[in-house]
Amino acid sequence: MKNKDTAQPTPEQLELQAREKRVWDAIRLQKPDRVPIVCYDEYFSLNRGGITAAEAYYEPERASEAFVENVVKLNWDMVSLFGIFPGKVGEIIGLKSNKWAGYNLPDNQEFQYVEKEYMLADEYDQFLKDPSDFVVRKLWPRMAEGLEPFGLFPPILALSHTYAPITEIASVAGQPEVQEMLKTLLRVGEEMNAYLAHVDQTIEALKQKGYPVLIGESGAHAPFDWISDYFRGIKGSMMDMFYQPDKLKAAIEVVTPPIIEYAIQAAEEMGSNVVFIPLHRGADPFMSNDQFAEFYWPSLKELLLALIEAGLTPSPYWEGSYTNRLEFLAELPPGKVWGHFEVMDLNKAKEVIGDVMCFWGNVPSQTLISGTPEQTKDAVKELIDIFGDNGGLIIDGAVGIPKEAKLENVIAMTEAVFEFGVY
Amino acid sequence: MSKELIDAITNFDKDGALAITNQLLSGDVKPEEILDHSRTAMQIIGDKFEIGEYFLPELIISGDILSNITDQLKPFLQGDGTKEKLGKVVFGTVAGDIHDIAKDIVISMLDVNGFEVIDLGVDVSAQRFVEAVQEHQAEIVGLSGFLTLAIEPMRDTVAAIKGAGLTNVKVMIGGGPINELVCEDTGADAWGANAMDAVAIAKGWVGATA
Repeated sequence: MKNKDTAQPTPEQLELQAREKRVWDAIRLQKPDRVPIVCYDEYFSLNRGGITAAEAYYEPERASEAFVENVVKLNWDMVSLFGIFPGKVGEIIGLKSNKWAGYNLPDNQEFQYVEKEYMLADEYDQFLKDPSDFVVRKLWPRMAEGLEPFGLFPPILALSHTYAPITEIASVAGQPEVQEMLKTLLRVGEEMNAYLAHVDQTIEALKQKGYPVLIGESGAHAPFDWISDYFRGIKGSMMDMFYQPDKLKAAIEVVTPPIIEYAIQAAEEMGSNVVFIPLHRGADPFMSNDQFAEFYWPSLKELLLALIEAGLTPSPYWEGSYTNRLEFLAELPPGKVWGHFEVMDLNKAKEVIGDVMCFWGNVPSQTLISGTPEQTKDAVKELIDIFGDNGGLIIDGAVGIPKEAKLENVIAMTEAVFEFGVY
Repeated sequence: MSKELIDAITNFDKDGALAITNQLLSGDVKPEEILDHSRTAMQIIGDKFEIGEYFLPELIISGDILSNITDQLKPFLQGDGTKEKLGKVVFGTVAGDIHDIAKDIVISMLDVNGFEVIDLGVDVSAQRFVEAVQEHQAEIVGLSGFLTLAIEPMRDTVAAIKGAGLTNVKVMIGGGPINELVCEDTGADAWGANAMDAVAIAKGWVGATA
């Protein structure tokens, strides 16, 4: 990272180090020089740059240009890489589980997840008997049209004899649908390579300008969410809590080790020590504390502790309100988890987890979208007043910076940090 | 027997509730009466939700049980099987948003509380809301939205309804990103944080006791 000619770090390199230190001090509950600003931004910078969501999905280079420009202008200390996936890849593989602009949504709309029962209520036994086989032959075909031919495969375990490569595997590879699928996958891989190279360039461009990037977007999920989001849907999983709780718990137990293993592996591959964990169904309105304790928390806690044990910093995104769960969060080791919060009783959070977890987020979306710069500044000041004393505070919008946020409010957010947040 | 039905529903015993429904039907109890008992049970669950004893899973389960009971009763019901309605509500998730769970819960609680609800589904355009209000002569419109992206379409929908001269129609909004500030911003007449709020607001508007 040294400048070749002088062996002295450039101003940008110094700035990069200072920003990283600022953020990590806050995560470790040590006072940095000032309150850091770390933002999730998916569509706001696009909106500002006059780029539609459809253009972002299909012309990622334009999206990242707007993204980089926005970060620099607003003086954020660190950003998450935008969550826009390559539209071409989704289109070629025939993704059924998402809708996105430029494909099957209007040009300027955020993506939507297609909530449904990808695994049916009576399929638990089949999944539990041979989980990976079920994923390959049943779930993949349900997720993407291009993967439907996996449904033609014999049971994967039936392919475990040494003649399989020259018999069943070769035969199935010869089927016209499977040949078509292999061609599709080839194109998907090429598109993905191009996209990933582009992501690397974006990270590099930001670093050159002195801005660190929060990577690790692939991250992990709470095991309950894994089953609820990807297998059973919210209705299905909540009915299972009543009608087949043991099977639901068994499925959660089955997916937990691979979630942990892959999160560690992916973090190593990406050279990131932060593991992003967006949480969905654990929020206050979604279940009682007893249900949370029974179905949600044990496997999530196991995941968080395993990541910490591996030397990583889990970054759970506590989406929704988590005030009722603060006592659970207090069980986690201090300064090791970097939590992003949306809705919270701030004083109670300070009291219960103020010495456990750096508080990140919470500037209300409603204020950023419908409020005034004054109201935005007040929200930031309140956070600093409550959480600032031990340094455990990082500023962001409650759900990151919403696409519809008013520019003057987002500017006010940064201004408020410089006005009230210098330690 | 009716107490047993209410107990079965409030204990989330689906099989029990359906079996009792069958017995009541064969014992010549009017399907309308059975539906009333089911609604009483839903009200009990709704009350427990309101005081923070029950959460989303209980609403989903009881909604599922109620819809199973209703299916069982349908062949025996005269008309729509209900007493005079308190009012008509046109309800939907706004354009661009495809979330239906919260919407379905609010609709089922409005229905249980005596409203006729016209469910327009998800991703409903402003124009479609206006047409439905005109077609059904509804007094109330409910706009649901789960994400911040719903705020703009809510603003557009309220403007379209008022702009079409339907100034007597009351609009309530609800969902994840909604609060007082957003309510003012969109021009809606009221906002609610959950299904019970929606019922209270709607009852207030039609002059019914909550």
